[in-house]
Amino acid sequence: MGQILASQFVYNWRRNVSAIAGSAIILACVLIVLFGPLVAPQNPYDLTQLNLLDSYKPPAWIEGGDPRFLLGTDGQGRDVLSSILYGTRVSALIGIAAMLMACTIGTVLGLLAGFYGGRLDAFIMRVADVQLSFPSMLIALFLMSAFGTGIDKVLIALTLVGWVVYARTVRGSTLGEIQKEYVQAARVAGLRDAKIIRRHVLPNVLTPLIVIATVQVGTFILIEASLSFLGVGVPITQPSLGLLIKNGFDVLFSGLWWTSVFPGLMIMAMVFGINLFGDFLRDELNPRLK
Amino acid sequence: MDHQTAPAPLLDVRDLRTWFHTFSGTVKAVDGVSFTLAPGEVMGLVGESGGGKSVVGFSLLGLIDPPGRIEGGEILLDGEDIARASEERLRRIRGREIAMIFQDPMTSLNPVQTVGAQMDEMLRLHTDLDEAARKARCIAMLESVGISRAAERLKAYPHQFSGGMRQRVVIAIALLAAPRLIVADEPTTALDVTIQSQILRLMRRRIAQTGAAMILVTHDLAVVSEMVDKIVVLYCGKVVETGPAREVIADPSHPYTRGLVDSIPNPRDRKPRLAQIPGAVPDIRNLPSGCSFRPRCPRAQAKCAEVAPALAPTRGTLSAACHFPIVEEIAMTGGERA
Amino acid sequence: MTASAMAASATTAAPAAPMLEVENLEQRFPLRSGIIDRLTFEGGRPRLVDSVVHAVNGVSFSIAKGEVLALVGESGCGKSTVAKSIARIYTPSGGRIRIDGEDVGAYGHRAMLPVRAKMQMIFQDPFASLNPRQKVRDIVAEPLLEQLERRGEARAKAKAREAAVALLERVGLNAEHAGRYPHQFSGGQRQRIGIARALSVNPGLIIADEPVSALDVSIQAQILNLMMDLRDEFGLAYLFISHDLSVVNHIADRIGVMYLGFLVETAPRDRLFSAPRHPYTRALLSAAPTIDPADRAVEIELEGEVPSALALPSGCCFRTRCPFAYDRCAAERPTLQDVGGGQSVACHLIDEPERDRP
Ligand SMILES: Nc1ncnc2c1ncn2[C@@H]1O[C@H](COP(=O)(O)OP(=O)(O)OP(=O)(O)O)[C@@H](O)[C@H]1O
Ligand SMILES: Nc1ncnc2c1ncn2[C@@H]1O[C@H](COP(=O)(O)OP(=O)(O)O)[C@@H](O)[C@H]1O
Ligand code: SF4
Ligand code: SF4
Ligand SMILES: [Mg+2]
Ligand SMILES: [Mg+2]
Repeated sequence: MGQILASQFVYNWRRNVSAIAGSAIILACVLIVLFGPLVAPQNPYDLTQLNLLDSYKPPAWIEGGDPRFLLGTDGQGRDVLSSILYGTRVSALIGIAAMLMACTIGTVLGLLAGFYGGRLDAFIMRVADVQLSFPSMLIALFLMSAFGTGIDKVLIALTLVGWVVYARTVRGSTLGEIQKEYVQAARVAGLRDAKIIRRHVLPNVLTPLIVIATVQVGTFILIEASLSFLGVGVPITQPSLGLLIKNGFDVLFSGLWWTSVFPGLMIMAMVFGINLFGDFLRDELNPRLK
Repeated sequence: MDHQTAPAPLLDVRDLRTWFHTFSGTVKAVDGVSFTLAPGEVMGLVGESGGGKSVVGFSLLGLIDPPGRIEGGEILLDGEDIARASEERLRRIRGREIAMIFQDPMTSLNPVQTVGAQMDEMLRLHTDLDEAARKARCIAMLESVGISRAAERLKAYPHQFSGGMRQRVVIAIALLAAPRLIVADEPTTALDVTIQSQILRLMRRRIAQTGAAMILVTHDLAVVSEMVDKIVVLYCGKVVETGPAREVIADPSHPYTRGLVDSIPNPRDRKPRLAQIPGAVPDIRNLPSGCSFRPRCPRAQAKCAEVAPALAPTRGTLSAACHFPIVEEIAMTGGERA
Repeated sequence: MTASAMAASATTAAPAAPMLEVENLEQRFPLRSGIIDRLTFEGGRPRLVDSVVHAVNGVSFSIAKGEVLALVGESGCGKSTVAKSIARIYTPSGGRIRIDGEDVGAYGHRAMLPVRAKMQMIFQDPFASLNPRQKVRDIVAEPLLEQLERRGEARAKAKAREAAVALLERVGLNAEHAGRYPHQFSGGQRQRIGIARALSVNPGLIIADEPVSALDVSIQAQILNLMMDLRDEFGLAYLFISHDLSVVNHIADRIGVMYLGFLVETAPRDRLFSAPRHPYTRALLSAAPTIDPADRAVEIELEGEVPSALALPSGCCFRTRCPFAYDRCAAERPTLQDVGGGQSVACHLIDEPERDRP
């Protein structure tokens, strides 16, 4: 299917405005993650570059703005644009890393549950069911209050929240795949279970995960932002977009809106782009009903 | 089976073309198919997978969905061209004039409605019987297809029936509104031989009784030879041969039909190797020039690459689309049988 | 057992150890279902029942080296289950499976591995039987690769792939096809790939589960011809499973007829077609459509359908549809009896031939 799908994929993509918009936003985010710190006017973590005299400057185009600070500054005289460029990196990397961890763990558990069935399956799926009956945000919040703050802890919390959807999807596809004759052919060839799972089942259950993983990065960015906003997320030394919003939130209603609104817009744009693209992927990769 | 003096046709399909416009090119699934069907006649539409048999069937019922389209030709049902009929008109034709029986009975039965409700709906749509009369008709119809305790079974859901029983129900529904034409697409392919033989017997009997005409779509020449009066052989969307069933199977004049008949193992004439048609059906988006069968044809000559052959009388009652048809009676296997 | 062993020796000159010997094979599948489905009330008291599918119920036969035994019967009668138990995709619930004299019924994965070099399988579905994400060369090389790795050979992968390319040519594909994926092939070509895979370890026995059922007739003829050529070339024995009597008539030396998990009749091919004894065999032959009206000899027309393998009838498995059934058939289960000429039949009519009249 490789070539046909690939070209059909591109063909449909070029005819889908929201898919193109989503891809453009994602591309922009990727560039920011990769090169943001290089182009940032300032290193917001470097206290020697900060000057308290520059605090709370409005965006450059507003009366009293400073052309050095395009999107204004915060209470420490930190350039908001630079904070966003650095913060996007933190947010996006947390989202992606947590997604990869959740995906790996969920996929392995789903493969084992589907392939072996029985008690193992029942156990894994009951845990998953229990977890699904609570909102992810609540679980994450609970875990973070138990663990304390820190990027590693955020990653663990997000992984624990996110594995279930992979496990369930992979288990379902695995049940379907192991019925197929090519898996039986592998048994007749004499392959060990581990090899059958790795070489035959795994490659055939991955496709539906692409959509889930894409959308999940967006969800994770939002959860992380919420956690940080509530003060149980990343530490103050590595501010993510969520933490930037929180920092600006205290002064939001005194008219100093730019310190939290711009990071907020950045999150919105990022998640919006991911979801646009995710929707397109879903239409493309789902079993074709056409 | 004299074709010249046949009665006015019930169905007259002329140069039907049904194409699918897909991303990777235009699939000319049916490309210039013509045939006629007299009232009460049973016709077999045969050929290998991808020949266009089902698409012809769907076209007759106006069931072609985008990206597919009837590009040209006429489907005259009693003189009315239904290829261009409105959806409204087609809805009235389906079930009432033309009924369809599919390979998988589950596709034509609604899994969440009782069999009785589905039968009743058919009658409500197409007749103006009152409720009691409709129920009586449903029960009689179920009994006529060999389902016992019919009154009780009306309350059952399709999944409560076995495969063979479901196909009986589908046949009952198809016959309810007394259609004049039944299109049956591989009605017994999913069934076991003993059940298949029950269903075929049933269809033959019921159709003879009701006087309906039938088009039996199948890839199984053996089924066709037991069921039909006349055969139309499709290859790559075109009619390659047509004629009375017995003659077409006993002694075909088109090399493709000949190959098909010969590849069926014949217990009376067991050879160490079966005759086989070399190669495989070509990609329909990318047909060879001239005759589509050319790359697999043992009789092909230069002319076959240049000019596409048209359907023309070849021998006796047969017509074939071939420049070099088998006009001599080879009768390798056929002759012994005669 | 003795009956089918004799049948085997009837068709082969030297009664060497058979390639495959199956004795009283049984295969049951417990149906795992929810508590609600299992709950029944007996005399007003709730009880949990475990339902069991009796897929194969004591089947015995043997296949000599180079012989083709066909199993026929309707869907669900246990043909595939027999095949898959022998191929040890399933672990048999009972009975013995001897491959080249070695009883493998209870073998674990490791002990089974060398046996897999003697026995391979061809599957029914040309689409589902090849991994869509594997290149053809890796698909074909897979069984051989396992064997080479077991023997600890150097360059196992390269050797297996080389062999795979040669095999592709033998089954009518070519070397350029080796790097492609299965979706780029037609049904018939895919079936050739499956055959090449089975041949890769040079087995003596190939279990073919409806290898041509999913193919068009013209392609079916190609594959049958290929299988017969390979048998002559490599001295293969086939367990050939099919529901198509005309195909079986063409390819088989001997035929076993199955019904509801029982072997009801076995006979050399010509005998089975000319003098079938079991009422079910006769019904099956009557029901099969033929293109030749002269071949049509309708003797028994069956009504009704196959009962469920969850609740086997008492006595004879066929009695619910058999036109000859009488009281003994419900009380006593008939066993395969040798009736001479290599034919064995499981029916009480053999003892009471006067009842064989509708
Ligand atoms: N919806 C569709 N979109 C694109 N191509 C289609 C569609 N439906 C059918 N075709 C193509 O039309 C051709 C004829 O198909 P059709 O289903 O009529 O074959 P058939 O003779 O009924 O075969 P079979 O024996 O497999 O049922 C095939 O090449 C098929 O791929
Ligand atoms: N893995 C399984 N679990 C439960 N039942 C099974 C399984 N495999 C086969 N069966 C049942 O065993 C019986 C025989 O099946 P099968 O061997 O596939 O028949 P055939 O190949 O003759 O069509 C059927 O009733 C089928 O439903
Ligand atoms: S026209 Fe030519 S190629 Fe086509 S079937 Fe006839 S002889 Fe063969
Ligand atoms: S044993 Fe009885 S029921 Fe069974 S096949 Fe013979 S006659 Fe029929
Ligand atoms: Mg079709
Ligand atoms: Mg089977």
